[in-house]
Amino acid sequence: MTASAAVRRLGKYREVARMSARNKLRYRGNFAGSMLTYGLFVYVFSRIWAAAYAGKAGIAGYDYSMSVWYFIIAEVSVFGFGRFFWNLAEDLKSGQVAYLLAKPYGFIGYHFAQAMGQGLLDAGVIFLEGLAAGLILAGLPPNFMLWRLALVMVSLLIAGCLQFFLQMSIAMTAFWVEENAAFFWIFQKLALVVGTLLPLEFLPLWAQTAAVWTPLPSLSYAPGRIAVAASPGESLVLMGLQLAWLAAATLLSRLVFMAGHRKISIQGG
Amino acid sequence: MNVIEAEGLEKTFTTRVKPEGLKASFASLVKPRMREVAAVKGVSFEVESGEVLAFLGPNGAGKSTTIKMLTGILAPSAGKARVLGLDPAKERLELSRYIGAVFGQRSQLWFHLPPADSFRLIGAIYEIDESDRIWRQAELVERFGLAPYMDVPVRKLSLGERIRCEIAASLLPCPQVLFLDEPTIGLDVIAKREIRLLLAEAAEVDDVTVFLTSHDIGDIEKLCKRAIIIHHGEVVVDESMKDLRHRALARKLVGVKYAEPVRFQIDGLSPVKVKAADVAGAAGIAGAAGVAGAGDGAWTAASFEVDTRCHQLPDLIRALAEKGEILDLTVEDEPLENIIAGIYGAQSGAEAAAAARPRTASAPAAPQTTAPAGEKAFS
Amino acid sequence: MNRNTWISAYARFLGTTFSVNLQAVMEYRVNFLIQAFGMMLNNAAFALFWGVLIERTGGIGGYGFSDIMFIWALVSSSFGLAHILFGNIRSLGRIVQKGELDLYLLQPKDVFLNLLASRTIVSAWGDFIYGFIVLCFLPGLSLGRLAIFSSFVCSGGLIFAATFAAAESLTFFMGNSSAISSAIAEFMLSFSLYPETVFDRGMRWVFYSILPSGFIAFVPLAVFKGLNWAMMPLVWIVALAYVAASYSLFRLGLKRYESGNQIGARL
Repeated sequence: MTASAAVRRLGKYREVARMSARNKLRYRGNFAGSMLTYGLFVYVFSRIWAAAYAGKAGIAGYDYSMSVWYFIIAEVSVFGFGRFFWNLAEDLKSGQVAYLLAKPYGFIGYHFAQAMGQGLLDAGVIFLEGLAAGLILAGLPPNFMLWRLALVMVSLLIAGCLQFFLQMSIAMTAFWVEENAAFFWIFQKLALVVGTLLPLEFLPLWAQTAAVWTPLPSLSYAPGRIAVAASPGESLVLMGLQLAWLAAATLLSRLVFMAGHRKISIQGG
Repeated sequence: MNVIEAEGLEKTFTTRVKPEGLKASFASLVKPRMREVAAVKGVSFEVESGEVLAFLGPNGAGKSTTIKMLTGILAPSAGKARVLGLDPAKERLELSRYIGAVFGQRSQLWFHLPPADSFRLIGAIYEIDESDRIWRQAELVERFGLAPYMDVPVRKLSLGERIRCEIAASLLPCPQVLFLDEPTIGLDVIAKREIRLLLAEAAEVDDVTVFLTSHDIGDIEKLCKRAIIIHHGEVVVDESMKDLRHRALARKLVGVKYAEPVRFQIDGLSPVKVKAADVAGAAGIAGAAGVAGAGDGAWTAASFEVDTRCHQLPDLIRALAEKGEILDLTVEDEPLENIIAGIYGAQSGAEAAAAARPRTASAPAAPQTTAPAGEKAFS
Repeated sequence: MNRNTWISAYARFLGTTFSVNLQAVMEYRVNFLIQAFGMMLNNAAFALFWGVLIERTGGIGGYGFSDIMFIWALVSSSFGLAHILFGNIRSLGRIVQKGELDLYLLQPKDVFLNLLASRTIVSAWGDFIYGFIVLCFLPGLSLGRLAIFSSFVCSGGLIFAATFAAAESLTFFMGNSSAISSAIAEFMLSFSLYPETVFDRGMRWVFYSILPSGFIAFVPLAVFKGLNWAMMPLVWIVALAYVAASYSLFRLGLKRYESGNQIGARL
């Protein structure tokens, strides 16, 4: 394949992403809603942390300001990229699969472009709101340095891609089961407990050890930890782990798709 | 007695206009632009009890909007509607007990359950006595031939089977008026025919007034006694199917085939298509446009489009017979579809009304293939 | 119509709807079990979170682990009940947007009730059951407390349903309110689950107004712990008021309903 053909091929995905971003911009309510929830969520958690740190200087190596900033960054991954599943599941269930399969683009690639078109907008808006909220509620983050800000953004981007491929894999269980929302709930809540609401260090030791073997810490913990505590070396390790899980999740989604596709072509949608 | 009366019904929608481009998207986020669209502008008609009426019009003509105003789903922006003596906009709940509706693409049956369960639920919704419901259901199952499907989940039924169930379901509460919005859309020929027969039977047996929209001329020809055509939100035709068909019948397509090539000309009537007998041997078919001077050549076959209000058909046939030995002669009606397409093709309501007006009255513009009005003797 | 026949007609209608709903669920027995189990697992994960946090801090804002588990149980069961009986409370906006409201407008039953009741959410059964399971493990359980709990599950279910439906009804006014309504739903659900005391007074009024978590979780907790029966009727009156308000908002929106030809493509 020539370079220009490759550009053309990718061009259509960029167009899909743009369309999806424009669609997102159609209604003011789309942003107002999630910004409101996020803002309130951050506020409420800052209160909870205030109550938890009443009379304590630190818990599990985090002080009040670190915990609040950790939460702010960890939630960007959830609010920006945490809800792809619903659109994907809707598409898969409404029988649009057959039409999409007949079109000249990769099934997963198409959905990736569509999801990211909206997700990047969402995450960007939420990230800016988080920075503002954090400055008001907890002041400048401890150990603030510019390299942290840059690494946090890259880490969030990887987390977003990982979110997509994991959720896509779950959504594609629709090839086999009618109502697959429960799978997503479980995934979502596990991700919430493992590294989103609380830094990983709060968990009992056995849970920390177990979590390392799952992709969950790569979703929220990695960017959160890089934002408030990690050294440059630890940051690179965390991001390396994120990339490894991203590769694995990409592969997983391909395998699920191939199996599902085979099932459809044998039994019909 | 009139069961439906519409008097100057109007409906105007407000839609948001979104210009193209990402930048414009941001702009309309702050300040949306609105535009008013008149979907229905002053529609009046009446439907009598027991009528089977076709309500026609091209996509976007305002058919569905009108039906929604008649059933109380939408309130008219202006004008009045009465259905069974009730005002749909104000007395929707009361009215809904006496009307049924089948919207081709929207199901009232539960997708994951067999129709029998939906029937039971409809019985409860319409407050039909359980014993009455069972009796009525048995009758409908019998008539509609639903026995094999009653215990199969709806999602496993074919579209034709599903629509049959839909219609039976909407007849369950014995409605006095049945609204059908494109009931045969997407069905095959056999399924369509079945649905038409069942609807005709329902109109007869259940004494229900049927108000039908469709794009399928077959539905309308087979089923309806009267047609209302709306276009650009206005009524452009409101007449009996007989009149509408009569208008189609006024135009005949006459085809003739001779044993030997003949050479002749008929005054004021040129063929729309001829098969010329080429002297060199190779016979070819040419359109009328391509053979401007065809009248001078020799033909073995030709066809004519004849307006019987200008030319007497027997005279033409006699004239043709005199020219040579006829192998085959066909006389066909112009399809109703062409007439309706002519009306649909109009750019505005007024133009459509003009296209729909019978052409004889003042005998103005003559059809292409005929000479100015008046009968001619063929020589 | 006679009042009695009106009531019996509606009772029959709701009864049939519920039984048809249940049958629809039973069409997918395996799925039902998977989902119910899935939701319970999800809830258990949250119990873990609270366990961890309280283990580290020894109580938050005066709430111990069992207090938090109580509001969890109550919120879970009420939330479940709302979605079992009125499965369309979270889809109302989408139904309006797609013009599927027509179907309900054509039937001679109250549109709001007919629409909400004509679906059940399978996974909600898991939530509903979970609350009762957790209750069994709480200290000091008695028949009286079970009665209090059950009563609050019903009032809470109504408050949840009323609030969610009201949020979805905003679609009538905004064209697409999915983000705001899901925000309200998530917010209300999440914050019924945190100790009320961590919020400062300026914030707490929210829990007794637009996001009535107070009436779903916090007041009941006080009643449950103190066996304070007198507060129960009050909670019921509040619940019915929320239902009335939600109903009015829907009726108001219905007037604006412009049906579904979806002028302007994909929403």
